[in-house]
This record gives sequence, C-alpha cells and structure tokens, in this order.
Amino acid sequence: MMLERNMTASPSRTAKVAEDHLVLSEVGMTFGTADVIPSLSLAVRRGEMVAFLGPSGCGKTTTLRMIAGLIAPSRGRISVGWRDITRLPVHERDMGLVFQSYALFPHMTVSQNVAFGLEMRGIAKREIRVRVETALEMVQLGHLSDRKPRALSGGQQQRVALARALVVEPSILLLDEPLSNLDAKLRDEMRVQIRSLQQQSGITAVFVTHDQVEALSMCDRIVVMRGGHIEQFGTPGEIYEHPATPFVASFVGRTNRLSGVVEPSGRLAAAGQGLLAEGALPVGQVQIMMRPHRVALLAAHEHVPPGHNALRGRLTGITFVGDLIQANVRVGEDEITVEQPTRRSTALPLMGAEVTVSWEAGDTMVFAGGAT
Amino acid sequence: MEIHKTSWLMGLLVTVLFIYLLAPVILVFPISFSGDEVLRFPPTSWSLRWYEALFDNRDMLRAFWTSLTLAFVVTILSLVIGIPAAWVIVRMEFKGRDLLFNVFTAPLLLPTIVLGLAILIVFASFGLLATMRGLVLAHLVVSLPYALRILAVSLATQDRSCEEAALTLGAKPLSVFFRVTLPMLSSGIVAAAALCFLVSFDEVVITLFLTGPRISTLPVELYDYVYNTADPMVAAASVLLILLTLGVILVVERAMGLGRAFVK
Ligand SMILES: Nc1ncnc2c1ncn2[C@@H]1O[C@H](COP(=O)(O)OP(=O)(O)O)[C@@H](O)[C@H]1O
Ligand SMILES: [Mg+2]
Repeated sequence: MMLERNMTASPSRTAKVAEDHLVLSEVGMTFGTADVIPSLSLAVRRGEMVAFLGPSGCGKTTTLRMIAGLIAPSRGRISVGWRDITRLPVHERDMGLVFQSYALFPHMTVSQNVAFGLEMRGIAKREIRVRVETALEMVQLGHLSDRKPRALSGGQQQRVALARALVVEPSILLLDEPLSNLDAKLRDEMRVQIRSLQQQSGITAVFVTHDQVEALSMCDRIVVMRGGHIEQFGTPGEIYEHPATPFVASFVGRTNRLSGVVEPSGRLAAAGQGLLAEGALPVGQVQIMMRPHRVALLAAHEHVPPGHNALRGRLTGITFVGDLIQANVRVGEDEITVEQPTRRSTALPLMGAEVTVSWEAGDTMVFAGGAT
Repeated sequence: MEIHKTSWLMGLLVTVLFIYLLAPVILVFPISFSGDEVLRFPPTSWSLRWYEALFDNRDMLRAFWTSLTLAFVVTILSLVIGIPAAWVIVRMEFKGRDLLFNVFTAPLLLPTIVLGLAILIVFASFGLLATMRGLVLAHLVVSLPYALRILAVSLATQDRSCEEAALTLGAKPLSVFFRVTLPMLSSGIVAAAALCFLVSFDEVVITLFLTGPRISTLPVELYDYVYNTADPMVAAASVLLILLTLGVILVVERAMGLGRAFVK
C-alpha cells in the first residue's frame, strides 16, 4: 500500500532532488596488503540514480558492499541523510541490494522470497500478502508467485530479486551489475524497466556496471572509477562530451588518439599541422582525442569550413559497413579512425590516396601529457 | 579386435568381482528361508521358522531396540553438535581453524581397536561401561567426524550471497541461520544423519568393549549368537538388517534428490 504511494512521484520529492542522501567521505578499503580503494568521496542526491562505471576489478562491488555494510571500510565515513552508518550492522541499514547472481532463496517460492524482508520487519500477515502481490504485479510476475526460483528464467529471477529488494521500501537501492547475466534483448527491456521503477518510486539508487551504454542511458549521473579511485563524476552528457581524463574519454565511447604539442605561444599542433581547440590548453606534450563519428573524411583539397580542424594524411584502410563507412587515415605517427554515414553518391577514395580528415574545433579534446 | 577382446575381458572381470563381493550377501536371502536345523547351502527344505525364532528371541529383540534407540540418539546429537561446529569452522575466521578441523575429523583415520581400548580405559573410570550413556558417547566419537566432514563441505560450498541478501533484507544473524543457512543445508544434513545412523547401527568393534549382559546392541548380540550357535536365524536377522540399510539409503536418495533440487 505504501508502495503505491511511493510509485506516484510526488512533486515535493522532485523539488528535494538537490539534497545529498548517501555520502561517502574518504572511504578506503584494504584487503591484507592490497589497497583496493585508497580514498573515495562522493555524494548521491536523494532520488537520483548514480552509476558506478569502470572496468572489472576497479572496486565497484567492494564500494557497494561497504555501502550495504557487508564489509567494513578500513577508513572513512559513510552516512545516509547525514546519519553516520559506518558501523551500523547490515540488517539495520535499510538498503535493498540486488546481487549480480540474484541470490534468491532456493528453498522458498517467489512470493516467500518477496515476503521475507517484510516478515523480518514484523509486518502483519495480511499487509504482507497485499504488498507482495503489488510488488509482483509491478514486475509482471503475479502469475508465477508459487514457483521456486530454479523454475524461472534468468530475466524472471532478476525481476524477483528486484521486487524482493523494492518491496521493503529501502531508503537506498543498490544494484550490482544486475543485467550482466541476461541476453542482449532482455537487457534492453530490463534497462527500461529498472529505470522506470526507480523513477516511479523516487528511490535513491546506485547502479554498478562495467557497461557504458547502461550507465549513459539509465542513470542521472555517472561515477567513472579506475583502480579504486574516481576519475570523473558527472552527468552522462558531461562525461561523454567533456571527459576529465584520457581514461574517461576512451572508456566511455570510442575515441581517436593523436599525440600533439601545445607551443608556449598557445598554438596546438599534431604531425606538424596546426589545430583548433576550445578552452585553455596545457603547454607541452598533449594527447588529442576526438570521437570517430564526429570526424569527416574529405578529398585532399576539399574545402574545410571555418571553425573546423583539418589534418592531411594517407588512407590506409576503408571498410563499407552498409550504413557506415569506416576509414583509417595515417597522420604522422598516428592513425585516425573515421566513421561516417553513407550517402547514395558516396564515392570511396582509393587506398593510399592523400585525404583530409576534418572535425569541429569544439570536438577536439586535449589532455596534458604524452600518450601512456 | 584388440579393443574388443579387452572389453570382453573387462566385462568378465567386473562380473567375477561383482559375484565375489555380492554372493555372500545374496546367499543370505535363500538361507534365511531354510527349514533346516543348521546353516548350510542350499537348504534342503523351506520355511519361515527362523524368522519366527528371531521374533521369539527376547535378547535379540531387546538388542535391536537398543541399537535403534542408540542410533537415533547418536544421530540427533551428531547433528546438534556437528552443525554449529561446522558453522564455526567454516564461517568464523580465526587462527588454527584448519588444525581444529583436522583434529575433529582425525578419529576417522585411527584404528578402531585402538580407539576402543582408549574408550574402555577412560569410560571404566567414569562408570560408563555397559550403560546407554556410555554407548552414546562412544558412538559419538565415531559418528561426529563423519557428520562434521559432510556438514563442513556442504556449508563451504553453499552460496553465501543468499545469507547476505537475507541480512540486507533486515534479518538478524540468528534469523539468517534458521531461515536461510539451515534450509539450504538440508541435503547435507540428511546425508550426515543417514551416515551417522548407519555408522552407529553397524558399529561393532568399539561397542564390544562396552557391552555386557545388561546392555547389548544388535550387531554384538548377533556376533555372540553366531559364536555359540550355527543355525539359520542369523541369516534371517541379516536379511532384515540389509533391508533396513537399504531403506535408509533409499530415504537419503529421495531426500538428497529433493535437497539437490532445492539448491538448484
Ligand atoms: N575479499 C577480498 N579479498 C581480497 N581482495 C579482494 C576481495 N574482494 C575484492 N578484492 C579485490 O579488490 C579488487 C576490486 O574488486 P571488485 O570490487 O570486486 O571489483 P569490480 O566489482 O569493480 O569488478 C579486485 O582486485 C579484487 O581482486
Ligand atoms: Mg563486481
């Protein structure tokens, strides 16, 4: 019943969006001698869904388990709504955790699984029945309530796990790669479903994933992690358009990488050819990056519009992929990948031909330091 | 050609081995229906008289009930002690955990006769000889290591994330144990129980040191009987023992099948 109330997002809830809900302050985790998380600080706002995005082994699960209380951080402070919960036992934390393996109770039916958290809270039998029913309807599993988990498909188990975590109306929902064991089609469906459930209930959520598409498409903000620290924390747009580090640029979306130099005069150049970029530039060796689909392939002497960069190079490979042409162009020591949509009249340049690659000055990303 | 010959030879070998192993057991069945006065094969006449004799033998029946009660109590105690002990050994992290586990399961390797003597010496000074309490304690020494080993392995292979899920859902650690850990351990518990029951019910060597005219178990009573008399009644008793053992194994098989189904 309370579930229904929460499912219609109230205006007051949306108004409070800016308030910090889950706060990690200099949280660290050391296993034996392995300093898995040196120091992590971040704040998740009430009602938003934040992705922890990073390659496997970067400490996402470890961080999530510290938040849930399944492991105690070696250092730092975790608080929820300004209440310090660092030392609070798991069962008093009021957090819903959806495991990567779902972790459904194999000896209980679907409805017993979902009812478990409510029973632990000492809620009356009658109310439990109603809330379990509502929760199972919400994930469209009402008809399977008497099945054992092993008699369900992966996607159905996933939805039971979700219903079980949500039915107790936890203060925070934690999801550890919940879609990684599903096939591609189901993954797309569940992406939409999880996001809409989260938005309807207005619950604060942390979504762990190594899949940039999930992070970009589902979450309000993204924490990009690497080796136990935060590379960048921002909205999907910020992360994609203004990556803070070369790692973020290449981990979120694909990118080209050119080595270049910023002269003391402020002039940016790669392979001896001058380039335009927006914003302040770091003097010295730099890495220049741009997304393949933002780069156009032109004939050698074709006109380049003002405000666009142009680099001359030699065509080393070209692949026609139907709706796309992928081309590789060698510029000095580096190779640039170009992806552009095909047109009926597209004439493919010949291999080895002199060509020009061109992109908008604003699409140029410049990072201090040489290539790593 | 070569392979064919080998497989034919293998088949023969396996058959011979099987007959060698099972023949004495199978022979017991016809002999138990013998009408003869003495134990011989093949019997010259058929009857149920040895089954009747068995059920008229007060000592034998008393020993059977003793064995049954003993095995039952030993099984329950093995589980009551074994489950928490296995939990501590598998789940708690402390120094000397492996040592503890090895010590607990060590009697499995000790010659039973040595164990029997040791128990005799200790029990004599505590007045535990020829008492039910003494038999229970002695059988526990043998059955606990089995129980502990089976339970520890089941517990160690159990998926911990279910327990963690229960905790995040607000279950206190004790509720987690009774609502999640224990039910998920059910197949291990059934297996351990069956093994403890059979180990206790079949135990002869150590029991021989501890029994007397006042109290005796079925295997010991049978042993004594055969020592003095050579009539087919022991065959009738053997048949019933075989059927009981098969019954227990069948129960385990069904429970384990169900148990395994629980745990995917
Ligand atoms: N209990 C543990 N003991 C020792 N090392 C661990 C433990 N848990 C995780 N690690 C290590 O911490 C690192 C981060 O792991 P994890 O948080 O699972 O990464 P992710 O979820 O991002 O893939 C890995 O190198 C892993 O080996
Ligand atoms: Mg992980």
